[in-house]
Amino acid sequence: MTVLVVSNIDLPIKLRVMKPVTFLDSTINEPTLNLNNEYRYLKTGYYVSMHAEILGNRVIPSCENIIDSSRTPVFLLRAAKAGVPTLPVVVTDSVKKIIKELGFPVLLFAINPFIYGGYKVAHNKSALYRAMKSLGMNYKFAVCAQPLKGELAAVKSYFGKAVNQDPNTEKIVQKVYEIFRIPLCKLYIQKTVGKAYLCALQPVTKEELSEQDLKIISKEVSLISEQGEPFGV
Amino acid sequence: MSNIACFVEKYNFTDPREEGALQRFKVAAEKQGSEFHFLFREDISEIPKYDAVFIRATTDPLNAAYVVSKTAWELGLKVIDDPESITICGNKIHQYALFEKYNVPRIPTMFLDKEELHHKKISEIFDTLGKPVVIKAPYTSFSRYVEKAACETSFRDVAKRFFRKSDALAIQKFTPTAYDWRVGVLNNDVLYVCKYMIPKGKWKHGAKLRGKPTVIWGRTVSLKKREMPRMLSEVALKACSVVGKGLYGVDIKEVNGDFVVVEVNDNPSIYAGYEDSSDHDIYKRIITYLSE
Repeated sequence: MTVLVVSNIDLPIKLRVMKPVTFLDSTINEPTLNLNNEYRYLKTGYYVSMHAEILGNRVIPSCENIIDSSRTPVFLLRAAKAGVPTLPVVVTDSVKKIIKELGFPVLLFAINPFIYGGYKVAHNKSALYRAMKSLGMNYKFAVCAQPLKGELAAVKSYFGKAVNQDPNTEKIVQKVYEIFRIPLCKLYIQKTVGKAYLCALQPVTKEELSEQDLKIISKEVSLISEQGEPFGV
Repeated sequence: MSNIACFVEKYNFTDPREEGALQRFKVAAEKQGSEFHFLFREDISEIPKYDAVFIRATTDPLNAAYVVSKTAWELGLKVIDDPESITICGNKIHQYALFEKYNVPRIPTMFLDKEELHHKKISEIFDTLGKPVVIKAPYTSFSRYVEKAACETSFRDVAKRFFRKSDALAIQKFTPTAYDWRVGVLNNDVLYVCKYMIPKGKWKHGAKLRGKPTVIWGRTVSLKKREMPRMLSEVALKACSVVGKGLYGVDIKEVNGDFVVVEVNDNPSIYAGYEDSSDHDIYKRIITYLSE
């Protein structure tokens, strides 16, 4: 089976890799692996998956999974349904509600059309006001709050594999890939003694990809290309 | 008997005509023995208590309304607008690509990628669609982010602005008409029909006065749906069939006797005394659909 690899990243492999802009002008009917460092909605990484879906191609990742994985409350709901450990979430623009339901310290992610990366941690009321003002864009949008119980780690995931992580984290990373099939991403995971909780998924920047990372990615891409495994063939 | 949550934001209550419509939904639900509660963004965690969710706040895959829709969907609740409809209607590129695939009669449309903003491509667009053209950002709603361009300079100007948020745009043939048909569709059936009149001297339903931030809207003329042209209803239903089975407002232009789709909107405006004035049963039908 041939898998069409569409990528905005230069990989050290001998496979046929197509640039997103070339693919968007084409009508190729093949299972499509859309490899991009970011799958932001309305950006090229999203349009590649959309174009593949319109052509009727099986594609990784799907538009639905791209959107859902970037909306933290939806992402955590779907992950929790599939058995991934998560913490309670509050969606609100009210500081009082967060203090009442979660207390401190608290971890906050934005849910609005303008902010797609980063997070804030608040240890007290005034820090929470500042964080809500910034992530909620002057309190205009709601934010997604979760209790912060341990140490927060940003873990890079390449096809569900993470490098040098504890077994709990590795399990989460793999499970998230099975559910959402986002080839490249960064997962925020809280770690406490003997436990790990999933917090959010965000894009990786090209600068964050080391040579070592590119080698791992290339190996995975070659495997998929040969075996077509995530396409179920 | 069903427990319905109506997801709203504060701005849904600023226009008395919209507030009036929301009250009519509540009355229609209660008449059928159902409960109808307004759900604000603070109450998202209460979604599991309900049987159905009806979204009236503006939808977009990136805002809270999508979180509400997908949460309800994941929990197995009946929901208008469903997440897939929001995804397709919230991105006009996605929608036009589907229209192309399934041959829905539509205004001639071309796509423009960010990397293609050069003289050759712009000339090709003008040669194909004529001058002026209409440039549309994929996330357009309420006539916003839709602008006209008659020369390369203004084309580049508008496109560059819209490219800040999206890497692809839709370009359409400029098709001025005195009004747009607005066909309300629910679950593959026509719900209501209106004419959205274009304000005099303007080319879209909601237009800005020169140099002023205020938007003026054309009149809404409501018609009985049994009096609508048969072709109009066929085209509207065909367009909706590629989007989904929810509640939509289809904008259609009549050009030389042909009906062509401008766009299908999820979350269509329903104002008391406007969309509902010829077919009064729209509230009842939507509530029935949600409680089934």
